[in-house]
Amino acid sequence: MKSFRYLAILATATGLVAFQAAKSPVHAAFSASPGRMNASSQVAQPAAANPTADNIGAASYAKHCAICHGDHREGILPAFPPLVGIKHQMTDQQITTLIHSGKGRMPGLPGVQNEELAALLQYLASSTEITPAVTAGAGANRKGIQLTGEAAAGGALFLQNCAFCHGRDAMGGETGPDLTQSKLVLEDKDGSQISGVVREGRIEKKMPAFQFSSPELVSLVAFIRARVTAAASMKGGRRGVAVSDLQTGNVEAGKKYFNGAGGCAKCHSPTGDLAGVARRHEGLQLEERMLYPRDAKSTVVVTLPSGEKIAGTLAYQDEFTVGLRDKDGSYRSWPTERVKYKVDSPVDAHVEQFPKYTDDDIHNLMAYLQTLR
Amino acid sequence: MKLVHSPGLAAIAVLALLAGSCPLVAQYLEPAQLLHPSPESWPLYHGDYSGMRHSHLTQITPQNVGRLGMAWAFQTNQSAEIKSSPLLVDGILYFTVPDNIWAVDARSGHVIWHYNHPTTEGLHIGHRGVAIYKGWLYFVTPDAHLISLNAKDGSVRWTKEIADVTKGYWTTLAPLIVKNHVIVGVSGDFDNLTGYLRSYDPETGETQWQWNSTPPVGTPNSTTGGMTWMTGTYDPELNLIFWGTGNPTPVLSGATRPGDDHWTCSIVALNPDSGQLAWGYQVSPHDTHDWDAVETPVLVDADFHGQPRKMLMQTSRNGYFFVLDRTNGKSLLTTPYGPTNWALGIDKDGKPIPNPDKEPKPDGRLIAPDEGGLTNYRSPSFDSKTGLFIVDAHPSWSIYFAKPADGEYGWAGADYGVWGKGVIDAIDYQTGKIRWSHEVGRGGSGAGVLTTDSGLTITGDAEGNVLILATSDGKTLWHAGTGASIQSSPIAYELDGREYLMTSSGGVLFAWALPQGPSVADRSEIHTH
Repeated sequence: MKSFRYLAILATATGLVAFQAAKSPVHAAFSASPGRMNASSQVAQPAAANPTADNIGAASYAKHCAICHGDHREGILPAFPPLVGIKHQMTDQQITTLIHSGKGRMPGLPGVQNEELAALLQYLASSTEITPAVTAGAGANRKGIQLTGEAAAGGALFLQNCAFCHGRDAMGGETGPDLTQSKLVLEDKDGSQISGVVREGRIEKKMPAFQFSSPELVSLVAFIRARVTAAASMKGGRRGVAVSDLQTGNVEAGKKYFNGAGGCAKCHSPTGDLAGVARRHEGLQLEERMLYPRDAKSTVVVTLPSGEKIAGTLAYQDEFTVGLRDKDGSYRSWPTERVKYKVDSPVDAHVEQFPKYTDDDIHNLMAYLQTLR
Repeated sequence: MKLVHSPGLAAIAVLALLAGSCPLVAQYLEPAQLLHPSPESWPLYHGDYSGMRHSHLTQITPQNVGRLGMAWAFQTNQSAEIKSSPLLVDGILYFTVPDNIWAVDARSGHVIWHYNHPTTEGLHIGHRGVAIYKGWLYFVTPDAHLISLNAKDGSVRWTKEIADVTKGYWTTLAPLIVKNHVIVGVSGDFDNLTGYLRSYDPETGETQWQWNSTPPVGTPNSTTGGMTWMTGTYDPELNLIFWGTGNPTPVLSGATRPGDDHWTCSIVALNPDSGQLAWGYQVSPHDTHDWDAVETPVLVDADFHGQPRKMLMQTSRNGYFFVLDRTNGKSLLTTPYGPTNWALGIDKDGKPIPNPDKEPKPDGRLIAPDEGGLTNYRSPSFDSKTGLFIVDAHPSWSIYFAKPADGEYGWAGADYGVWGKGVIDAIDYQTGKIRWSHEVGRGGSGAGVLTTDSGLTITGDAEGNVLILATSDGKTLWHAGTGASIQSSPIAYELDGREYLMTSSGGVLFAWALPQGPSVADRSEIHTH
């Protein structure tokens, strides 16, 4: 089905300028589907009678770049990067060098010079209006959200790689949290936090690490930001848990449970470790921590065959290896069959509580914890 | 399958290949061969039609497994994790990640061809593998198309649309070949869509039949959903395929879909020639927790409480182990195999009775298991010698929320896993009692299970260790750290008299075997069935 898509691309190009054969071999990664292109009403403006820099730039892009980088600079991932937002990544000089010399599978285009070059650079800097597939098929009760430029490119990336877990609209899906209410997302001023999580993954939460380029990460962050903005303005249809949802419990009953049946008081104190806990955490985050604090540390004492004992924070444990960080912060490990070791995980008390809780217990406990400000 | 045995012939074959022609007609896999796969092949996603994921190979034993080592590894060099089961036909392995197929020499791990056609639409969450019919491969794409390719070189013969990606469908599964049917299912949880199975003609790609698991979208007071995203099993005697269906939609809110919501979260038996429903059995009536019942419907012919039975067994995502009589879909046994707290009890038909108070609520409900379930798509294994049904289980707790503001479309709520761990559980199918448990770590493992006739259980732990356990008692016999999480189910095959166990971790495929060499003294005689 290559030919169809190819023709479609060519047709687009010929609509812009008299078609000139591309100077480079076409490596475009064709979708394996019968010629379905993202239907989008917006294509680069055809050249008008009075050429302006705008449409010279657009025509130049269509002629030289669109075949690989997409009609709307959205890229054809993973082979061809989006160029939306490229000006945030590279200087005009760097882009010029790249255009003239090429890189990897990208051929050099030394013929793009002077007025055309300036117009192309200006075109690459302009914003673009795309409605990406992110809003497609979202059902009659959802409005497609117009995303521009980087966010649109990020939307395509997000849909492929992130939507299954985080939801197509970033508001939570299969196992992944609602990113529009994520503390990390909301507090991340320059995108570095979000990018870090994407690049490194969150092993403990089953989030894989992704190998995106810097421009891809910028576009993803832009998409997530756009979703945060959209979510904040949505009426109804909203997923996620608000602080106000978690106010159904009874404070007194919760206090009683804390000190009695819950066994919380065995390890915790409202004036000690939990003093001010409700100022540090709220809502769903507080409830999740209450049920199981994921970052709780375990300690371990390893007894070597010599009888020497080494204590530290448990750093790794599987069936075959036990590792700890000693008091100096050094990591040390041993085969489990060669040493005796005893792990102390106070957090396991939380796991033992799961089958014992009623839902009311949880709501009451939440009510009580929320008074510890 | 007789492969080339004499070096002379092999040389001629190589020369012929180099010359670009092939006088030796490759023994294309005829559908009849799928009924009795040879030890030199793994021609279906589950290895055979039963879904037992059990190998009759006996070269690697509890006694010699200590000497097991890596024969080769294949690196996809992609960040996508391998979730597929390779197929093995005529010495060539075919396996996938979304948008990619590799054909790899099963003897050496070198690539023969690689198909790589990125799609920009549809979720790229995972891919389970290809199907093979004669010399053709069948491959589904994230944008919900079925592609038929030439197994020789990966060239595309035809492409058919399975579903409309713009509506929210996508596809991930390995198709099932039954006679002259290529049977595919669909995925799509984010929209209120009808789930279905569709059968294609393997030669022309024409649609033969379609079976819808739920009524048309817009039918008042009825459900949508029931996606069919995992490969089913087949009983040639009964001429029935058995398939699991996914959760209803809206996912977490059941208000607009009162009643049981047939046929979501169900095991269905269909005639493969017509797509007609013979029977259905709903393991989670009126599900509000996203517990697809697509886990392998394992077919076992054995004694049950003193009577020979044709059974179907499933460790379902909802936390219960089901044994059915597959001739009629009647329950023989239902029992939880880990923590569950969402049912009031079991009804007369063996179905859990959902507790309405455990439906998601605005202030949350504590639910076991979590949304990923007590097990998920990774394969369990049935070992007939011990009568053990061995599954990678995931005891877990979570909180589920839904409120009117969440609407009645797609997800319609939110849920959050609180805690989980992994345990390999060996279930006695006659009683549902757990004979042994093997802890595999915090968070849980993504490894499926394979058993062998020599008494080995191959699986993996949460840290990326490949584990080989004794099927009799679950004790560890061998392990190897692979450096990435395991998200697939093992397979086994034999080539040139050498048994291979195959696992994957991250984007790497591993072939494990005993050392090659003149000393074969400790190799037991090879039995093939």
